[in-house]
Amino acid sequence: MSAVNSIHPVSTSPAALTLRNVSKSFGEAHIIRGVDLELQRGERHAFIGPNGAGKSTLFHLISGNFKPSAGEILLGELPIGGLSPERINRMGLARSFQITNIFPRLSVFENLRLGVMQRFGMQYTLWRPISQYRKVTALAEQLLEQVRLVRHRDTLGGELSYSEQRSLEIGMTLASDPKVLLLDEPMAGMSREETDYTAELLRELSVGRSLMIVEHDMDVVFSLCDRISVLVYGQVVATGTPEEIRNNAQVQEAYLGKEVAA
Amino acid sequence: MNESTNKVLPGLPGSAAKMRPDVSPTVSATASPATSLRSPAAVSLASRLLMVSVLLLLLIAPFVLPQALVNAAIQMLIAALFATAFNVLAGQGGMLSFGHAAYFGIGAFATLHAMNALGGAGLLPTPLLPIFGALGGCLLGLVAGWFSTQRSGVYFSMITLALAELLHALAPHLTSVFGGEAGVSSMRMPAWGLSFGEPMHVYYLTLAWVLASLGALFFFTRTPLGRLTLGLRENAMRLKFLGYDVHAARVMVFMISASFAGVAGGLLAMNNEAGNYVLFDVRLSSEVVLNAYIGGTGVFFGPALGAAVMTFFGYAVSDLTRSWLLYQGLIFVVVMMFMPNGLSGVVLWWQRSQRSSAVLARYAAGWSLGALACAAAVVFSVELLQRVLGSDYQSQLVDAQPWPAITLFGRDWLPGAVSTWLLPLLLLVAGGLILNRVTRAWDALNEEEAA
Repeated sequence: MSAVNSIHPVSTSPAALTLRNVSKSFGEAHIIRGVDLELQRGERHAFIGPNGAGKSTLFHLISGNFKPSAGEILLGELPIGGLSPERINRMGLARSFQITNIFPRLSVFENLRLGVMQRFGMQYTLWRPISQYRKVTALAEQLLEQVRLVRHRDTLGGELSYSEQRSLEIGMTLASDPKVLLLDEPMAGMSREETDYTAELLRELSVGRSLMIVEHDMDVVFSLCDRISVLVYGQVVATGTPEEIRNNAQVQEAYLGKEVAA
Repeated sequence: MNESTNKVLPGLPGSAAKMRPDVSPTVSATASPATSLRSPAAVSLASRLLMVSVLLLLLIAPFVLPQALVNAAIQMLIAALFATAFNVLAGQGGMLSFGHAAYFGIGAFATLHAMNALGGAGLLPTPLLPIFGALGGCLLGLVAGWFSTQRSGVYFSMITLALAELLHALAPHLTSVFGGEAGVSSMRMPAWGLSFGEPMHVYYLTLAWVLASLGALFFFTRTPLGRLTLGLRENAMRLKFLGYDVHAARVMVFMISASFAGVAGGLLAMNNEAGNYVLFDVRLSSEVVLNAYIGGTGVFFGPALGAAVMTFFGYAVSDLTRSWLLYQGLIFVVVMMFMPNGLSGVVLWWQRSQRSSAVLARYAAGWSLGALACAAAVVFSVELLQRVLGSDYQSQLVDAQPWPAITLFGRDWLPGAVSTWLLPLLLLVAGGLILNRVTRAWDALNEEEAA
C-alpha cells in the first residue's frame, strides 16, 4: 500500500486503463458507441463534451455501476468490465460522483475514515475499537488536511456547504489510495479560489496515479491535463494534448467553440 | 412465572405477555453513534454520574422493590436488551425489521431446549444457557439476513415481516421443536450454589446478561464494523464504491442484531421456564419497533429507555384499564409527531441547549403541564366512553329513562349531562392553550437571540 504521495512510476507497458470498443445501450438508446481509449500510467486525462454526451455513463461503466453492452475494459491487464463496484475499487480504481455522494449524517472525519478503513481490510473487524488503529486515524487526518476540511472535522457531512462537500467527495475518493482515479466534475460549484486549490491538489495527488476527469471548467482542463478526449454522442471525436484539442477544427465546431476560443 | 404479568398484556398469552420492562433512566445520554455528541466536560460528567446511579439502582433494586416490581424490572431489562439489539439493525444500520420476534422467539426456544438437554450441569450450567439464545438467533439471523438484505428499504421490511410470519404459522405444527400449542417448558436447575428459584436470583442473572450484552453492543458501535454499520444506513451505494461488500456487511449486522435479540429471548425463557409459538407473534415484532422509536433510535441507550418506560407503563396501566393498548398507540403517535427523536431526544435537547437548566426546566415544566392536561382529558373521555359503550352498561339502559351514572375516578358521572363532557373539554382547551403559549414564548426567546 503506497502512501498517499508516492513516486512517479516510469512504466511503459500496459496502460493504466484500457477501453476497447466499449458500448452501452439502454434499450434503443445507444449512449456509448464504441469508445476506445488508453489511459497511460501517470497520465491526467480529461473528458469534455456537451451535456448528454455520455461522460458520466462512461464513468459508470468503468467503475462498475453499469455493465457494458459490448467491448472490453482493462485495469492494467485485468478485465473489469461488468465486475461489481467494490471489486473494481479493491483492484485500485476509485471514483467520485457528479452529484455529491457522501454520508450526510456522519462527521466529515468519519466520512473519510470509512474510506480509509477499507484499505486495511477491516470490513469485518469487531474485536478492536476503531480508535486503536492509529494509522487509519492518521491517514484520515491527513486527508482532512489535504482537502482543507480540518476545521470541519466534526461537522456532519450534510451540513457542509456545497463546495466543501465537493472537497469531501474528492477526499473520500482518495481514501482508498487508488491507482486510477475517476473524478466526475469535481470542481462544479466551487469558487475560483477553491477551484485553483483543488486543481493544485489534484496535480499533486495524481503523481503516481492515473487520473481521468470530467470537468466543465476549461481552464482547469487545459492546465491540469496531459491529454483530452472529446466525447460527442457517445463517441470520442478527438483525443490529444490540450494544444491539439484547442486547434482541432472538428472539436471547435462540435463543442468548444465559444468557451475556449475566447 | 408470575401471574400478575399475564394480565398485563391482555391478549398475549403466557410467556409473551411478559415482555415489559424496565429500567428507567438507563438511558441518558451517552453515546450517540449517529451524530457524535460534542459535549463539554460537565455534560459528560453528568452522563457518567447518571449511568453510575442507574447502575447502582439496578443493583439494589431487588432489595428495595416489592416482589411484583422485581418481576416487572426483569421484564423491563429483557425488553431493553431486545430493543437495543433491534436498534443495531434499524437505528444504526438503517434496516427496519418488522419481524424481530422471530429471533427473540428462536432464542427462547433454543434456550429452553438447552435447559432440558443439559439440565444445567456440566460445562454449561444454568446461568450460561442464554448463550444458546444467541446461537439460535445468530443462525436464524444468518439465513433470514442473507435473504432479506438482498433488498433494502420497504422491501427489506416486508421480507423480515414475511419470514417472521412464516415461522409463526409453521411453529404450531412443528410439534417436536416448538411443542405445538402447549409449547415447551423447562426448569431452572441450581448452579454455582444458587437455586435460581427465587426471583432475586433470576433478576441478577437477567441483569448480568443484559448489562454484558449492552456493553458488548456499545463496544460494537466503536469497532470498524460498527462504524461501517452507520455507513450502511447513510449511503450503502457509496460504500460499494469505497470497496465494501455491502451485502456481506448487512448480513453481519443482521446476525449481530439477531444474536442479541436471541439472548433477550433466552432470558425470557429462563425467566418463564416456558415458551410457545406465541413468541413469534407479530405483536412482539411491532412492540420492539414502537419501543425503540419511542425511546429514540439515534442514541445508543434510547431504545432501552423506550422499552423500559413502555414496559413499565404496560405493567402499571394494564391492570387499571382495558384501553391501555390504545394509550400505548397514542403515546407512540404523539411522540413521533412532537418528539421525533424520541425520549432520548429530549435528553440531547437538554444537553445541547445553550440555555441554563433553570430556563429549560421552566419550559419543560410548562410543556409537561399542558401535555398532562390534554392527557387527562383524553383519558377521562376514553374511560368514560369505554364504559358507556360497553355491553354491561348498554344492557342496563331502559328506553325513555335517563342514562344512569357511571363511577369513574371515585365520582359519579352522568354520561347524558353536558357538564360531564365539559370537564374534558375544558382540560383539553386549557392544555392546548398552555402548550401554545409555552411554545410561542420558546420561539420568541429563540428569535430574540437570533436577532
